[in-house]
This record gives sequence, structure tokens and C-alpha cells, in this order.
Amino acid sequence: MTEAVMQPAALLSIAIETLRSEVLAALPPDRRYAGAMIANALEVAQRGLEAPTAERVRQLLDPIYGAGRGSIAWLARDVRSGEVDDASTGELRDLLIADLRRELMIRNPRFLASRSA
Amino acid sequence: MAHATRPRTFDPSDSGVLEGWLARQIGANRARITNAELLSGGAIGENWRLDVDVAGGRRSGRQTWVLRTDAATRMAMSHDRADEYACMRAAYEAGVAVPEPIAVSTERELIGAPFMIVGMLQGSAQGRKLVRDPALAAFGEALAGRLGEELAKLHSVQPPRRDLGFLHVPDQSPARAAVRQLRADLDKCSEPRPALEYALAWLDRRSPPAAGLVLVHGDFRTGNYLVEAGMLTGILDWEFAHWGDRHEDLGWLCARCWRFGSDQLEAGGVGTREALYRGYERQSRITVERAAMPYWEVLAAARWAVVALLQGERHLTGGERSLELLLTGMMAPEMEWDALAGIEAIEAIETTGMKGSSR
Repeated sequence: MTEAVMQPAALLSIAIETLRSEVLAALPPDRRYAGAMIANALEVAQRGLEAPTAERVRQLLDPIYGAGRGSIAWLARDVRSGEVDDASTGELRDLLIADLRRELMIRNPRFLASRSA
Repeated sequence: MAHATRPRTFDPSDSGVLEGWLARQIGANRARITNAELLSGGAIGENWRLDVDVAGGRRSGRQTWVLRTDAATRMAMSHDRADEYACMRAAYEAGVAVPEPIAVSTERELIGAPFMIVGMLQGSAQGRKLVRDPALAAFGEALAGRLGEELAKLHSVQPPRRDLGFLHVPDQSPARAAVRQLRADLDKCSEPRPALEYALAWLDRRSPPAAGLVLVHGDFRTGNYLVEAGMLTGILDWEFAHWGDRHEDLGWLCARCWRFGSDQLEAGGVGTREALYRGYERQSRITVERAAMPYWEVLAAARWAVVALLQGERHLTGGERSLELLLTGMMAPEMEWDALAGIEAIEAIETTGMKGSSR
């Protein structure tokens, strides 16, 4: 078996494919919801592997705190206290919306499509 | 269906103690449970249909009731069963379509958790199915109007009320009090959420002044009321009831996240908001402040985001392992998106007088 096949993303991909094509339809009705939740969770995990969180949050934090500085917890605290707001960071809301867009691309791209329609 | 494999609190094969207690509560000589069936739904607690043979007293005969338990863990913002029962009773007495309150127990010993027993109503509460009902075009507007009427009846319940003395009376604007509570709830969650903090800061700055307090349902939305053949039969899930602003319930029902994809029907995905408002005004003789509603819909999105995070927290730190709860927590960015889009739209209207947000 090659190393490429053993990559987590590749394993998840074939697992999801098998779950969707061979398992879900065969589940009894009272287990289909649980099966669909499992498929959803695996798909989120798969998309998350392709877009690591650490890289995503830097795109939000770097324009506010500088390269490599700050954290999501800092930002949450500073927004609540008013230390960081639209006046201090003119593009704050745009940055937050862009971050939500990246997060939703992982967690629920269909939701994003529904709001963009 | 929620938590298909989690352990049950109520064991129908061991209901002798419950039967004796129930008979005493309703003034009967005897109450015998002939059938118990676990109903679907209930992410917070369990719901059981009980068929009960009652002998003696004013409820003598064959009865069908619902037993509703506390869950193993509970969100901080939700009432226990005794307080929820008191809110339901107040609504029932105000003429709201609500299951008849029959009995309540705060004791854990009887069936393993506090519980209430209420009347069983016909109908379905499946929101997704309701908004896709091919017959909705025929009954949706009337249903939205009826929802407005029921809210108006509920909002006739106002403080002070000795029977609702456990409800906190906000000492400031209800919206500002809501923001303060949401921040406190958010502090119980593991994951910091800057976008949600942004929405809460905006809501705090823009909070409308205190208006008359009313009993607010707190989760009045499609999915929490029963519909049978196009007619409203009852309003469920009173565990978030509180003193608040009447526009809060209207905003919650109209929030985009509760339309189940039927975005053009702004009143819960079933009818127009005007039908809802007119129903409310018909019953209450109080004008709905239409210009205020976008604010309350932003608050609704922020609140649902916090509730989702708290649900996720029950899995993460609450000792209640559940994929469903975790996935609910992961939905928070969706509501944050709606909240920020709502803020953007409000500010665009203020700036240009036009509907400006494309999000």
C-alpha cells in the first residue's frame, strides 16, 4: 500500500464514499438520521484537513494584530471591551465576515451557497 | 430523532410509583398506565405518550397525556420542568393554545428525573415538512395570522405575577439585559467567537429603550408548534419563557434561521410577516413596530448562535457525549453570518435609505 493511500484525507474520502453509496440507504429508518450525521461529520473533517484552522485564523488576526501576533481569544475579548472595533480597525466587520466565509466553507458550504443565492 | 441510543430516564415497565403519585395529583382513586411510547424530538428532555386509565375524580376515564422529563444535563438558560410548567399554566389560563398542564414533579426519585404531565395534542411539529407542504399556499397566511394572535394572548401575561416569581425581572432595557445574559452564557463556552462578540456589541449599543414587560415564549418558532390539517393546535417547549419585550418573540419567529429555507415567507417559512403582525394587532390592539423588527432579528440570530454553542458544550464539557449536540454547536457560524448580514443591511438602509446587503 502506497503512502498516498494512507493519507488521512484519502482514507476519509473513500470512507465517506462507501458510507453514502453502500450504507446509508440500507440503514433502518430509525438509524438514517444518525447515519446522515456521521456522513456530515466526516465531510466536515475532510474539508478541515484541506484547510487547516491555524492558517485560516492568521488571515483574520494578522491585519489586526500584526503577523503572527494575537489569538482568537484575544480578539473576542478586545471586541467585547471595545478595544478593537470598526473605528480602530476600519475593516473589522469585513474581516470577520471573510473569516466566517472561510469557516463555513468547511463547516457548511451549502449554507454559504444559500446565502449567496 | 434525538439521541436514539442514549439511556432513557423513564422506565415504563416500572411505573407503579408514578401511577400512585399521579392518582393523588389529579384526585383520582386510581391511575393505571396502559401504554407508554417514546416520542421523537426533545433535544433537551424526553417526551413519552402515556395512555392512562383513570378511575374516580373529574378526569375519570381513558386519558392520553405526554410525560416530559428533564434531560441528564440542561442548558443554563432553560427552566427546569416545574418552572416551565408554571409558564405553561400561565399561558393556558391566558387562553393560549398550549397543552393542558396536568401535574408536575420536582422529585428525582419518582422516575429518575423531574417531569411534567400535560395534555396530548394532535398535529405535527416538523418544521421542515411544514414549510414544504404543497397545501401551505392555501393555509399559510391564516396560520401566520393565528400565530400572531396566540403571541398577543401570551403577551397579555405581564408582571407582577406571584405564580411566576421565579422569573427574573430585568432592571434595564430587555434587549440590553438579553445581551448581558448572552455574554454570560458565551463565557461558559470553550470556543471564543469574535463575530458573535461583534454582533453582541452592536446589539448593546443599539438596544431600544425599556418597554412594557410581557411573558415572552423565548423559542416561538416553526418546529415548536403543532399543526393539524393546516390549523394550529398547540405551542410547545416553554423552557425558555421569560419577561421581555413583545418584539422579541416576533423577531425570533421571523429570523431567517427559522424559515427552514423558505426565505420568501418571512414569518417562520409559513406566511408573510404582515399576516403575522396583523394577527398580533387584531388580538392585542397594539401596533407592531415594523421598523424595530430588523434589530430583534439580529438579536435572534445572535441568541440562536449562543444556544447552539451551549448545546455543543453539553457534549464538549457537559458529560453528555452526542454527535447531534456537537454538530448543533458547529452551526454557530451560520447564525453569526445572518447576524452580521442583518447589521450590514440595517446600516445600509440607514446610510442610503436602500436595502443594501447582498449577503
